[in-house]
Amino acid sequence: MALSLIFKNSARTQVLSKLPANLLKVKPVNTRVFSQLLNNANTTKGSLVSVVSKNVIAKRVMSGDHSKLWPIEKGVAIALLGVVPATFLMPNVILDDVFAVMVVMHAHWGFEACAVDYIRPIIFGAAIPKISLGIIYVISALTLGGLIYYNHHSAGIGKTIRRIWELEPKQTAKN
Amino acid sequence: MSLIFRLAGRQACNQFLKNEKTGLLNFIRPVTLQAKPAQPPVKEGHDERNMRLKRPQSPHLTIYAPQLTSMLSISHRATGMVLGAYAVGLGMGALVFPDDIPCWVEALECYNPALLTSVKFMLSFPLTYHFWNGIRHLIWDTGKFLTIKEVYLTGYAMLALAISTSIALTVM
Repeated sequence: MALSLIFKNSARTQVLSKLPANLLKVKPVNTRVFSQLLNNANTTKGSLVSVVSKNVIAKRVMSGDHSKLWPIEKGVAIALLGVVPATFLMPNVILDDVFAVMVVMHAHWGFEACAVDYIRPIIFGAAIPKISLGIIYVISALTLGGLIYYNHHSAGIGKTIRRIWELEPKQTAKN
Repeated sequence: MSLIFRLAGRQACNQFLKNEKTGLLNFIRPVTLQAKPAQPPVKEGHDERNMRLKRPQSPHLTIYAPQLTSMLSISHRATGMVLGAYAVGLGMGALVFPDDIPCWVEALECYNPALLTSVKFMLSFPLTYHFWNGIRHLIWDTGKFLTIKEVYLTGYAMLALAISTSIALTVM
């Protein structure tokens, strides 16, 4: 059985050799491109060959797990669409405090995203990005403290902004 | 028997190699598989990887033409930073001079009316812009209006809405 197969195959190759050479040589083939394709196929599909040949698998970490914080961030953003106009329309201490907490959270995440995106280790080195994130936490905490204090011991956020719109210029500069 | 095999094999092989002009033989690679214990993945950040590979910082903003999409995106951040700076300024100011801030607001009456108008505009424009564009971003987060045509359409609509509401608030 095996013998007959071998004979059959050898006969077939001999037949092929007798065919005109240009039938098989359709066009000049760049063998490097073929092997390149093969290599690419191996690495992109993550086949067994590539996994075995690399003894260390590098896992790329773009950022930490953000899936739990993300809905909270969006929830605060949606809530602010109502809280911000309400605070200016009917200023009171409760709305002022809600405004302060939510705005500071929202601004903190915004500043944090900007620091992560723009203060990159590749430009500033390893230390400065971490220090700047720490500074953002300090600024956010001080701002929240200041705003809450202002709401309870002074005019409050809503009334202060509202007052700017209630001012009537006295036109004293002309006289 | 073995002689027959060897002879047949040699002839077949020779014939095959002689006619190997398609380059298909290059696909054949000797592969040795070796079993090894699994290595824990190495944690490497985006920047660490780029630093190790000595890649330049990307994107190169200088080679991009300004487009509505990118300009609205960066100004959303810019207005957010401005509003954040207002909040930080009020909070820090309240820590240092809590009782003086209402007096400073009252003092705005005594200067040129243009100052009050510009203060109103500088307060209201970042707010209206960030407000309306923020809604646009939240709608995007639900997966709607994400085609280029819709992005441009909502972009112009948002811009018109933000500028008109800001002007309305300024003259109010």
